Amino acid sequence: MVHPGRGAKVTTKLAAFRRVGVMVVRELALTALLLLGVSLVVFVILHLSPGDPFSVLLEGQAPGQAARASVREALGVPTTWYGRYLAWLGNMAHGNLGTSIRTGVPVAGEIVRAGPNTLYLTLGSLLVTLLLAVPLALYSAWRRSGALARALTLAVYLISAVPVFWLGYVVIYLCIHRFGLFPLLSATAEPQRHGWLYILLPIIVLGVANGTVSEVTRHLREELGRVMAEDYIRTARAKGAPVWRHAFKEGFLLPMTEMIAAKMPFVLGGAVIVEQVFNWPGLGRMAWQAAQDRDFPVIMGITIVAAAFVRLASLLRGVIYAGVNPRTATE
Amino acid sequence: MRRYRQAAGEVGERRERSRWRAATTADLAAVGYGLLVVALVVISYALGAVGWLPDDPARMDMARLNAPPGPGHALGTDFLGRDMLSRLIVGIQAYFLPGLLAVATSLALGATLGVVAGYRDGRAEALVTYLSNLVDSFPRLVLILLVIAAFRADIYYVMLVVGITGAPAIASLIAGKIQFLRTKSFIEAAHVLGLSTRVIVVKHILWYNCAPLLIIQATLGMGEAILVETSLSYLGFGVQEPTPSWGNMVQAGANYFFHGKFWPSTAPALAILGTILGFHLLGDGLNNILESKSAP
Repeated sequence: MVHPGRGAKVTTKLAAFRRVGVMVVRELALTALLLLGVSLVVFVILHLSPGDPFSVLLEGQAPGQAARASVREALGVPTTWYGRYLAWLGNMAHGNLGTSIRTGVPVAGEIVRAGPNTLYLTLGSLLVTLLLAVPLALYSAWRRSGALARALTLAVYLISAVPVFWLGYVVIYLCIHRFGLFPLLSATAEPQRHGWLYILLPIIVLGVANGTVSEVTRHLREELGRVMAEDYIRTARAKGAPVWRHAFKEGFLLPMTEMIAAKMPFVLGGAVIVEQVFNWPGLGRMAWQAAQDRDFPVIMGITIVAAAFVRLASLLRGVIYAGVNPRTATE
Repeated sequence: MRRYRQAAGEVGERRERSRWRAATTADLAAVGYGLLVVALVVISYALGAVGWLPDDPARMDMARLNAPPGPGHALGTDFLGRDMLSRLIVGIQAYFLPGLLAVATSLALGATLGVVAGYRDGRAEALVTYLSNLVDSFPRLVLILLVIAAFRADIYYVMLVVGITGAPAIASLIAGKIQFLRTKSFIEAAHVLGLSTRVIVVKHILWYNCAPLLIIQATLGMGEAILVETSLSYLGFGVQEPTPSWGNMVQAGANYFFHGKFWPSTAPALAILGTILGFHLLGDGLNNILESKSAP
């Protein structure tokens, strides 16, 4: 290569930028494809479920196949399953998730109302998990075989096996009866003394006991250990360059992103239980209620929104990966 | 289900026996504790199945409600004065067979998908990756609630879902291992010798080289199944009172928890904790000993 000038540098930068762009577009397409798959899975489950609105409509009339078909036709219901799927998908694309069987309220509005509560809970818990896991991972990557590192590893295992509902009771008991922090337990009551703490409790409980702490710690420690043993870190160390800055992207940022994306479904699942324990008015409680009442439209809407949220986290991971390491785009 | 970084199927060159000899004390202790838990669960399940219990789990001792451990009731009593130990033992019935179904489903499905992805390049692999991503998109508990709403709160349906959602992790591990093994000379030799692909896959790859991996995943899968069953019966979708399950025992004891009677809720919670911890430690310990490349 003959003296790569300024122009050559700009071109390589542009090429890298374009590769990132290609990568992002590919991730977006994949996300769209997966969301289509998600909707199909939900539709198939609904399709397979026993019972059919038409049998209710025609109850007591011993209808023949022809009568059923004519009712369907009269109501303008597509006769083929894919016809019904497309009609349903079209409705969803317009933001129409149907109405709740129990309350008769449009599902989309209910989800928009309860969604933010679950969003706080989920993102806050992930933050708590990371606040717990990152120092532990850093410490045990540094002092791998120390007695304290072993004890901490065991403690992390213990924490990950604690049933989250029981931990919820313990925390509520301690805060209300022992320390007298809250007079009453109700999310709908007037804002009370220490109200902010009441909001923090479920977040902390879910963050600690969502069962992923040990895995997140393990992954962070292993990745950091792997990167620290790489040649380029040794070179950086030999040159006297700041090792931390060299190791940050691959040894810390990527594994963190990976874990956030991979653990999102677990935390969302844990939210169902924690919202139940703390009477938290979010999607998890709605899902629980809907499963109790067999309220399909509600639980379907929640499933799709939750899956979309998981896909969004994955998309974010894809974008960060592409940004950090554009080479992955050429694969 | 947990995923290990050393997925790429790095079977060490050393024999398995020397791997056990080289294992650290911590890993051996983890495996030992895990095996103890497995033995306790299996024995207790058998005892409960033949009805050989310290006390009748339905008999109410009205003189001693919410009693702590003491003579007569080795692990105390619940809010109706029923023997806690017997109820804990009977509670294993709620997850034991369903959990085995979940594990069998994820192993069968995961191994099949993994073989397809590992042995066929291109489209089949892309399809398996797509299916894995699709399954991973659903928060498991939410998907289970959807299935409960669509069908009914049957634990076997639920465990089928648990099995299916556990399959992608196993598939990616197996696929990685096969891609690694395919380049090995013994597999090439088997092909050259004219062995059928089925024999190579089932015998030489899955049986000889993936057995530890499958055992580890089965262990972790059982832990997941227990977690799901206890969570669901806590939420009221599993086994119903008066039949005991660990989850509904925690739930039933919760009302008394806030009145300072901690034991009826804490005993089953500790059982859940100790058991899930055992399955996790067993899986991870075995993984460190048998699968990890970095073992000394």
